[in-house]
Amino acid sequence: MRSLLTPARLTRILLAGLAVLLVTMLGCCLIGTEAVSLKAVFAPQIPGHSNPDYEIFVRIRLARVILAVIVGSALACSGAVFQGLLRNPLADPYILGISSGAGLGAMIAVMLGIQWTLWGRSPIAVFAFVGAIGTVALVWSIGRVAGKYHVTGLLLAGVVVNAFFSALIMFLTSLANSSQIQTTLFWLMGNLTEETWDVLWFSSGLVWAGVVGLFFLAPKLNAICLSDSDARSLGINVMAMRVCAFGIAAMITAVAVSLSGLIGFVGLIIPHAIRLIWGPDHRLLIPLSAITGGTFLVLADTVSRVLVAPAQLPVGVVTALVGGPIFMGLLIRYNSRLGGKG
Amino acid sequence: MEIQWDIKRLSFAYKGQPVLFDQLSFSLEAGTFSGVAGPNGVGKTTLIHLLGGSLKPQTGLILLEGQSVHRMSPSDLASRLALVRQHVAMPFGFTVQETVLMARIAHLDWRGFETQSDRDKVDEALCLTETQHLAHRSVNSLSGGERQRVFIARALAQDTPALILDEPTNYLDLKHQVAVYDLLKRIQIDQGKTIVTITHDMNMAMQYCDQVLLLGPGNGSEVVMGPPKEVLTSERIETVFGVPILSLTQGDRTIVAPMGQWHLET
Repeated sequence: MRSLLTPARLTRILLAGLAVLLVTMLGCCLIGTEAVSLKAVFAPQIPGHSNPDYEIFVRIRLARVILAVIVGSALACSGAVFQGLLRNPLADPYILGISSGAGLGAMIAVMLGIQWTLWGRSPIAVFAFVGAIGTVALVWSIGRVAGKYHVTGLLLAGVVVNAFFSALIMFLTSLANSSQIQTTLFWLMGNLTEETWDVLWFSSGLVWAGVVGLFFLAPKLNAICLSDSDARSLGINVMAMRVCAFGIAAMITAVAVSLSGLIGFVGLIIPHAIRLIWGPDHRLLIPLSAITGGTFLVLADTVSRVLVAPAQLPVGVVTALVGGPIFMGLLIRYNSRLGGKG
Repeated sequence: MEIQWDIKRLSFAYKGQPVLFDQLSFSLEAGTFSGVAGPNGVGKTTLIHLLGGSLKPQTGLILLEGQSVHRMSPSDLASRLALVRQHVAMPFGFTVQETVLMARIAHLDWRGFETQSDRDKVDEALCLTETQHLAHRSVNSLSGGERQRVFIARALAQDTPALILDEPTNYLDLKHQVAVYDLLKRIQIDQGKTIVTITHDMNMAMQYCDQVLLLGPGNGSEVVMGPPKEVLTSERIETVFGVPILSLTQGDRTIVAPMGQWHLET
């Protein structure tokens, strides 16, 4: 039995989630091929001498851990929103073609061999971002034309556009040379690297602003889970609300994708795990998915750094390998719970 | 009597399909119980969606409390009118309490949470529909009758003067059909709500409705409205539904039953 969600209960759960996230971040900054001691990290700086512990802890590991938090939060939060908006438990952040659009953008950037950078971002990231946003806009407009059942129209448009762009990626792959293929493949698998602090500040600002915005749409998302006409009869301007929620969720997903490539499963399993334990109320689901998604990706990325050190696994492989079995387990429990009369 | 709905020269057709309603005018008084009846495909659901403002007529006016439903903002409309639809699917495991609380969405505080008065209204609605014991169950785990009561509870918690229902007794057994109509009648009498419901059961309509709108087949020109005893005569039911009717009168009550071919031959 779940008790009613009140602001006090929400605050308690979110603070606990944040505490777990911070402890995980700290722990994962300490783990790696080089042993780092916290004492040495925070030892007074001696001018002229570099402090290797500090360099590793802050510049290498902390930067990467923060990146993992941003990407994990964005994916899990937008996954929750897409599942609710599309009323489809199998939806994930990539369902409306964001993945193939971003992939196509990245592939084009690699093929063209562009060298310039934009605000310190590589052309791959910029092209992937533009590809992701452009594809969502395309899918949205096809879905609108496709008919009065907007949700089905969107899903079908997403599937078709995904298939078409995947074919384009295959086509470009057949033309590319092996080093271009290698670069693209690595990007498609999902991968976290060290980013500059400017990039981290900027993208975490965007993502957390998005999460806060989505939180304030949460009660309306609850109602839209039933049906459009139901939500309308409860006093919701369904179209306006849907445009806002889709726009924000697509934006934070595009930010995540342009930072890290395609990392799967986070956006699918984290919202389900939260629903299973704390229920489907979006006022809790949205912020807690963001926090938990960040925690999960920090852990997965640490595994990908450490498991085959000094080499690294693409983190997308780790999330899929860990996430797949967890998701299967959840699915079996979830179904038996929903099917029962208890 | 105060007028709740005033429909003036309403015409409606779906794109590329024959006209459903042609210059239809009627009004429903506040605090009355109205039934909408008629064969499949004559536009009963369309009519209640027009009344609820989710469909727009080609011509004509739909006035709710003297104001056009299409001029009202969604939240304005939601404070005047609640809708109970047929079988709503629930993709995620919302509990009964969470579902009924959604009725208060238009009244949440700035953080998006219910106030104490919202929670009181929900408790009251659960109590009226006798669904309190189900409060923490998932809506998906309920039987058809329980689920129907939950969505009626949500409509009550919305605290509106008017209530529209799309076949609330669909899939229910005899006992639960009567229970739903008893509940609606009690709400009408105790709280003075205006109730409009689609019904397929002529006997229920005769027992509970103050007035019946019988939609005939054809181009929507044949809409008969009035007290059930005058509208639901066995001759008219026979013509409109195209099925032979056996009618029995006991005291001041008339009961009608459709007669299939095999009965006629015996």
